[in-house]
Amino acid sequence: MEKRKLLVQYVMEGNDEKALELAKELVKEVNPKLLLEDLTEGMRELGQKFERLEVFLPELMVAADALEQVTAIIEPLLESEDIVEKEKVVMATVKGDVHEIGKNIVSMVLKANGFEVIDLGKDVSATNIIKTAQENEAKIIGLSALMTTTMPSQKEVIDLLKDMGLRDKFKVLVGGAPVSKNWADSIGADGYAEDAFKTVDLVKSIL
Amino acid sequence: MASIRMWEVIKRAETGPYMEEKDFLMKHFLPTMKKVIKKYDIKYDPNNPIPHDDDLIDRMWQAAVEFFLEVGVYHSDNKRVIKFTENELKEALFAAPSEYFVGEGCDRRRFGSRKIEDERPPFMLLSPDITYDEHDHLLACMAYLKEPLLDGLCAPILEEFMGRKIKSGAPSEIGGCVMHAMNLREAARLVGRPGAWFVAVGTAESDMSQIAVSNDMWGIRHTDGRLAPVITEMITNNEMLNKAAHYQINGNIAGCLAGAIYGGYAGGAEGTAILQIAYHLMGLMVHFVQFNQNFPFHMLYGSNTGREMLWVVSTYCQAIAKNTHLVHTSNGFANAGPATDMLYYETAAHAIASTVCGANLWEMAPARNKIHNHGTPLEARFAAEVGHSATKMKMTREQANEIVNKLLAKYEKDIPDAPIGKPFREVYDINELVPKQEYLDQYYRIKEEIAKMGIDFVF
Repeated sequence: MEKRKLLVQYVMEGNDEKALELAKELVKEVNPKLLLEDLTEGMRELGQKFERLEVFLPELMVAADALEQVTAIIEPLLESEDIVEKEKVVMATVKGDVHEIGKNIVSMVLKANGFEVIDLGKDVSATNIIKTAQENEAKIIGLSALMTTTMPSQKEVIDLLKDMGLRDKFKVLVGGAPVSKNWADSIGADGYAEDAFKTVDLVKSIL
Repeated sequence: MASIRMWEVIKRAETGPYMEEKDFLMKHFLPTMKKVIKKYDIKYDPNNPIPHDDDLIDRMWQAAVEFFLEVGVYHSDNKRVIKFTENELKEALFAAPSEYFVGEGCDRRRFGSRKIEDERPPFMLLSPDITYDEHDHLLACMAYLKEPLLDGLCAPILEEFMGRKIKSGAPSEIGGCVMHAMNLREAARLVGRPGAWFVAVGTAESDMSQIAVSNDMWGIRHTDGRLAPVITEMITNNEMLNKAAHYQINGNIAGCLAGAIYGGYAGGAEGTAILQIAYHLMGLMVHFVQFNQNFPFHMLYGSNTGREMLWVVSTYCQAIAKNTHLVHTSNGFANAGPATDMLYYETAAHAIASTVCGANLWEMAPARNKIHNHGTPLEARFAAEVGHSATKMKMTREQANEIVNKLLAKYEKDIPDAPIGKPFREVYDINELVPKQEYLDQYYRIKEEIAKMGIDFVF
């Protein structure tokens, strides 16, 4: 049990070298499912600390990075019945906009809360976003815009979904500094959250 | 940076070391920031939002210089890092002018560097930094330009053009930006200030739209101010460099628009302040600007009037004022909206912190810079009065700290649920473009209340 706690500690500290070394040792002794549960819980707690701003984004990022590396060792060893299918969320900063940090924060917090995030980056076209969501069978599309002049690209995704006959297949959430609930409602989005932490609650309520 | 070096820098954007963006962030930015904070022993003190610790300020400057030289600036289109030597930085810092004369005729003003506790009043750039309805844009510009203490204007932003939402990179953006520019010129002439200095055009996101409105006859004059933004964090790209290069070739007085995010990649107050200092160096060296326009903000609230953010503001301002002669402005982002008491408390706090710590003022973006039409000249007027009064009474950092703590006691607990206030049309008579009496009464009541906290208002 001590070593399991130590693994969580190393990952949460972003100490990927020590975490990987310990993970390779532990998978021989402990059910991988238990290790993943420990790490998921650790990440959730770290996410809550971030919400209270007891830690900041760098701490979350290095932990997430270490977690990804450790998970890559553990997951292949899971029994098929222990594999938990995570809900998928496609995230993108819309076409014409190169600002990513808001979207990155939301992605990080969603991952910390057990979602699988497919992050398409910035300046992403509506067609790419929809195509990725289809290919990955995601249920949620999250669209970020930092400028009032790039907000129309959020509407473009929703309009294109309608034109393609796919509107009912996905829930579309919008966010970003200039975005408001009024805007979200006016373009037919399924939700708007003021910040990353409210986004998690919103996604959970939609699913 | 002296723009004679401009093409050398642009070459480095194409030939600098290759790096993936994630590696720039994870392997360079994050660990180097952590290292310099520890090495220079930088610690946020919540009891002193306006510290009076010259040694801390100098260490923050050194931390920022080391961070900037080691990390460089990332060019995201080319995936290359732009870096400089210490000697190149020193040359640019020495050569940078310490003042400019902006505006024409009766509206010609000195826009220059200031020192900590400088007795010269700050340059007053008034700006709501939010969007207005198309039919109110010209009226709002006129209302701001009527303010006697205005030294320059960054106008409200347009969200629609001919009834349609403006889209970045599309013809509607060009249309909106031309309207914005023409409204500025018309508004200035109509209120009798044709020589007033503008920083423009906020409606433009793309380089093409910024370039489209450069026109001495009807648009943004070559003597006006322009902005080349930073991409969060320490990132630039071809679009930003296009703007930067155009402004220099066009002869503009250009600024680097930079807002480090508290809680983001820079971490807490310490990293946010160091990063904001480093942005002055990025502006100087990579965007070849004449001034820096600063708007650090809180990740959750989008504002910079909370306790930790006022510490960020006061320390980065002091570091620049003490160690350089660079010209810069400090942009206030408040939580509360127009016609609320809270907005005036926040405005006073930000204006005091910035003025006493050596910045010029760029005020005031209300309601977290989020609510359409929620901005009036009244809060900007208040910032100007506070700024002038602070310098007239020779306010020290200790006095400023005491007054700001009193102001914080009035509003900081309300930050999470700040009132959004009222829109421009409700606060102002839009025919005569003056505040309605009810809101003017509020203004004078709050002014009297804040005067009792220790500000000796100039009138």
